[in-house]
Amino acid sequence: MEPEQAAPSRVPTRPRQPLPPPGDDATYLTYRTDLAKVRALVLQLSRTAGLTESRASDLVLAVSEVAANTLRHTQSAGTLTIWRQADEFICEVHDEGTIADPQAGQTRPGPDATGGHGLWLVYQVCDLVELRSDETGTTIRMHMGIRPAD
Amino acid sequence: MDLLTTSVATADGDPYTLVALAGEADVTNSGALRELLDAEVAKEPRTLVIDLSELRFMDSSALHVILRANRTMDRQGGVLALAGPRDPVAKMLRLTAADQLLPVYATVAEATAE
Repeated sequence: MEPEQAAPSRVPTRPRQPLPPPGDDATYLTYRTDLAKVRALVLQLSRTAGLTESRASDLVLAVSEVAANTLRHTQSAGTLTIWRQADEFICEVHDEGTIADPQAGQTRPGPDATGGHGLWLVYQVCDLVELRSDETGTTIRMHMGIRPAD
Repeated sequence: MDLLTTSVATADGDPYTLVALAGEADVTNSGALRELLDAEVAKEPRTLVIDLSELRFMDSSALHVILRANRTMDRQGGVLALAGPRDPVAKMLRLTAADQLLPVYATVAEATAE
């Protein structure tokens, strides 16, 4: 059998591997319009996990941007899941929206753009962002390493 | 308590309008923010200063409202300036390069100094 040839240097259009499940001790919050509550929970648990104020604020911004997309692009509630895993603090947002462009947010909007900064900010402030999106919904998992300096 | 509170002050004889934002500005109140800024921009002030010192949080939808107001102010020959952003808001303005598009001052006094 011929070995399968990988397409030369093509970015995969969509990651295929499902994300591993959240930790057993995860905290869940279902939200619709109450983004202030989403932010308050992320801030509180980030501090408890030992993130610095600055990195906790970064994560609050990232999660709020993703949760805002739930409001903007879907008619139903989203779910926020938060847990700690080894030396990482993780926030995951799941909703029924679909992100058609897997590269969305990976390039900075033009200097005079009046839209499209949300996901860009998410990628800028988080240590790692994992995104899975198909016609059934979107999951965005945001990781912050808990560093010794934190 | 409202998530976002706003106030507008135009001092007699001063060539600027001051809009102060307090609380948290996000997608749930960006429509109200847009109405407020549109109304002030329509009066064609020479300078419109937005005081951010009491704003704990700002997301990209609030930023977009401000950037749109900035565009209109530009067209009118006026200046929109931001004053007193707290660290998280200042960082967001930096990451989006919004701080390259419009002036950001540490305080309202600096923003309104001739």
